[in-house]
Amino acid sequence: MQSANVLLKKIVRNSVLPFAAQHGMKKDLFPLSRTLSLSLCLKQDNSGSPSGKLDLDGWKKVMKSGLQEEVGETVSEQKELSTLASAREILEMWRLAGRSVPENITEEQLKTFMACPSKSAKKKYLKYLHLKELYKKNDKRKMDEKRERRLEAQKQASETDETKRNSFLVMWASAMDKAYGWRVAQSMIFGQPLIFDMSYEKEMSVREVTNTVRQIVLSESCNRRSVDPFHVHFCNLKDDSLYQREFIKHYRETWGKLLVTVTDRCYTDIFPKDKLVYLTADSPKVMKTFDHDKIYIVGSMVDKSIKTGVSLARAKRLGLETAALPLERYLLWNSGAKNLTLDQMMHILLTLKDTGDWKKALEFVPKRKYCGFVSKPVNELKKTLNLINTLKLGNRQEEAQRQFAKNYSKKLRQK
Amino acid sequence: VQPPEKPLQAEEWSKLRESFQSPEIFEEVMFNSMVRYNSPIDVAKSLLTHVAKSNGDIAYNLLLKYLALCVQQGQTSEIRDVYDIMKMRFKILESGAYNLLIKGLSNSDQWRMALTLLEEVKKFMTPSRTNYESCIKAAGRHKEMNLAFELYHEMLAKDLVPTLDILQALFDFSRGMQGAELQKELFGVLSYLRENQIYPHKTFMRSVKLWFESIPGGNWRGHLTNIKDSGQCPVCNHQLEDSDLTEEEYNNLRERIIRDVIHGTDTFRKTSPQEFEAFQTFVENRLPFDIVIDGLNVSHIKPRRMQCENLFDAVNSLAKNNARLLVLGRKHMLINSSNWKREIMKEMQKKADFFFAENISEDDAFLLYATLRSGQRCKFVTRDFLRDHKAALSDSLTRHLFRKWQRGHQVAISPSADGKRIHFTSEKLFLSLFIQQPAFSYDCVVQTTGDTWHIPYKDSFEEKYSYRVPRKWLCIQQQ
Repeated sequence: MQSANVLLKKIVRNSVLPFAAQHGMKKDLFPLSRTLSLSLCLKQDNSGSPSGKLDLDGWKKVMKSGLQEEVGETVSEQKELSTLASAREILEMWRLAGRSVPENITEEQLKTFMACPSKSAKKKYLKYLHLKELYKKNDKRKMDEKRERRLEAQKQASETDETKRNSFLVMWASAMDKAYGWRVAQSMIFGQPLIFDMSYEKEMSVREVTNTVRQIVLSESCNRRSVDPFHVHFCNLKDDSLYQREFIKHYRETWGKLLVTVTDRCYTDIFPKDKLVYLTADSPKVMKTFDHDKIYIVGSMVDKSIKTGVSLARAKRLGLETAALPLERYLLWNSGAKNLTLDQMMHILLTLKDTGDWKKALEFVPKRKYCGFVSKPVNELKKTLNLINTLKLGNRQEEAQRQFAKNYSKKLRQK
Repeated sequence: VQPPEKPLQAEEWSKLRESFQSPEIFEEVMFNSMVRYNSPIDVAKSLLTHVAKSNGDIAYNLLLKYLALCVQQGQTSEIRDVYDIMKMRFKILESGAYNLLIKGLSNSDQWRMALTLLEEVKKFMTPSRTNYESCIKAAGRHKEMNLAFELYHEMLAKDLVPTLDILQALFDFSRGMQGAELQKELFGVLSYLRENQIYPHKTFMRSVKLWFESIPGGNWRGHLTNIKDSGQCPVCNHQLEDSDLTEEEYNNLRERIIRDVIHGTDTFRKTSPQEFEAFQTFVENRLPFDIVIDGLNVSHIKPRRMQCENLFDAVNSLAKNNARLLVLGRKHMLINSSNWKREIMKEMQKKADFFFAENISEDDAFLLYATLRSGQRCKFVTRDFLRDHKAALSDSLTRHLFRKWQRGHQVAISPSADGKRIHFTSEKLFLSLFIQQPAFSYDCVVQTTGDTWHIPYKDSFEEKYSYRVPRKWLCIQQQ
């Protein structure tokens, strides 16, 4: 038993060695002798402890033993580490210290890390990479599990050897794709245009542009799947802009076959100005109905820092009509900014286009942002309330009910 | 988990570990709670020994936690040992370990070692300001003021903002020491406070006072006082610096406001080029104004009254003494509505100049421009703190200028109970409706004339909103 224990410890101890070997030490020949000496000392300690006396500094002995011969070498080793390599070392130490640091980091990421202007920026970037790594790992694990399950199911199926008869060939995905393709192609000829304004690259950080493109990809796909798609235009999209590079990253070769109109021209050059409506949360005008003859413009911008009025300024400069969604009218707003993501906008606009029903369309506003729906606009609600009160209380208590109505509407607005 | 009170045997640790719900993180959790409960160091040692013997190695994070415990208890020799072990075991240490080591060693008799560690940190990153704090305090404690100031200048050169503790320590440790050079350095610290508009708190102020009074042969005397509204110090009768900006500062500020606040990245965000141009010619033709009023802001002072009545009262009370007024508003004010009565608006326009911006334009930017264009005498009225405009300025120096100018030129009015008459100091006006917070006529910063120093201070550490300046002062004079 004792010897088995020692053997076990030897193995564990050995696993530390590659660390030393990694750093270019000629340790390959030594491990045997070293572990031997270590296990010897362990044995001694073990035999010493039962006597009841605790050796409190025993851990130091363990930590120092076997490492002594390295000392000279590590010192001489510490010539000049290149800055990248030393950054990598520090990251590794941070990881050991239990900070959120990714396990693996590429050269490019390391450079981005070094280029971060401040300590907090560095920390944030590392945390981002760390989380990304975690998600990736989890996804991979789930995929593997799924594959295993599928294989097992196949095995079972082959054992029972059951074949199903069906009148259709199973090729849903490609058939659907074809059908969607037809629909979008049709919309490119007859459909209502919807413009994404790609002129905000300067206003955004790289992360924000990446997020923007991701949101547009989502919007494009939900447009493709809808019953009556928009004819999507990407206007002001310059060649070799960050937007475009990100698009290509996402779509790869599909980018050339995408059923949207991509142009580096401005929408004002393509469409008559009086038909254009710029959608922006900062607009003083509130959209009442969806107009099928208008051409709506959505600014392709993710705004993580607070830059109010950027898209409103753009519309003002070009002298375009602007509009905001009637969020206040229909929703009891809770918290969060009134600017929505691009795919949410797309969902809302598509629903409006199909049904014209605000309640249905505004279902796509994230639930956390509002408390509930006001089926009718707040001021109409107030009128109804007044009417009810008049009927209920009669003219005598006019004063009281007016007060009541006032309070009620105030509460509504405060929420 | 409650850590045990006495060191445990290996078997006892194993038992504890097994009874713990997730054994993999047992050691980590245990060390955390040891740090929290400040357990005796021997307990931690016994756990480390147990870990070392069962794994043959101790993970870095455990060593780090043990180090934290040692630092907490000032166990210098242990700190050294852990450092040696870490150095042997790992090629490079990270900032967390260095922070602990520097903190731990700087408080001991081996404080010079902390300095060498600081040098080590510098090799791969910028030390934090608390690293410097530890070292500066250690140097000061051992009366090595030259070294302390060297480190202080070094951190300033690295754009680190020294903690108030560092600055205070410099005064505390220099107390009673001779030397013209040292005096110059500490005056330098005071001018650092001045340039960055930092107000020391009460204990800091006391350190400054004691240092002044301790200068051998200096004959300095300090008194705590409140400065009168006129800007005169009641102790030494010295008149404080006025809040006016120099010509150069003033022009600089004006240009930066136009560039950063009004135009910014896009002129269309706050106004439009046509509108701004129209406003510029409007202002140029009517210069200079004495008071510029933010019409919409003032109109909301008393929420129960009609908005135009509020504005009317304000204009009336300010229009006395032939002051030239400019009221800024938006076009919607001209449309007859329940809040804006056309007759009252007409009546007001006889007493003051009005400029109405587009409804979606920002009138604050115009307010700043008109006031700055009218010269140093001109004041402006709004309750807005203008923080967003300050934030739009791109560098801290201009922001400080803006704050100084704002303190000297902003008149804030707030509603008072009806009939209560408040004496408005600088203009000798009686306002029946508003309490006015007058613009300061003197500048609230650390200042000196050579044989006097005046230092504004906060009553306690936390008190003070960024927009409020302290009213208490330390007056130091040489006899």
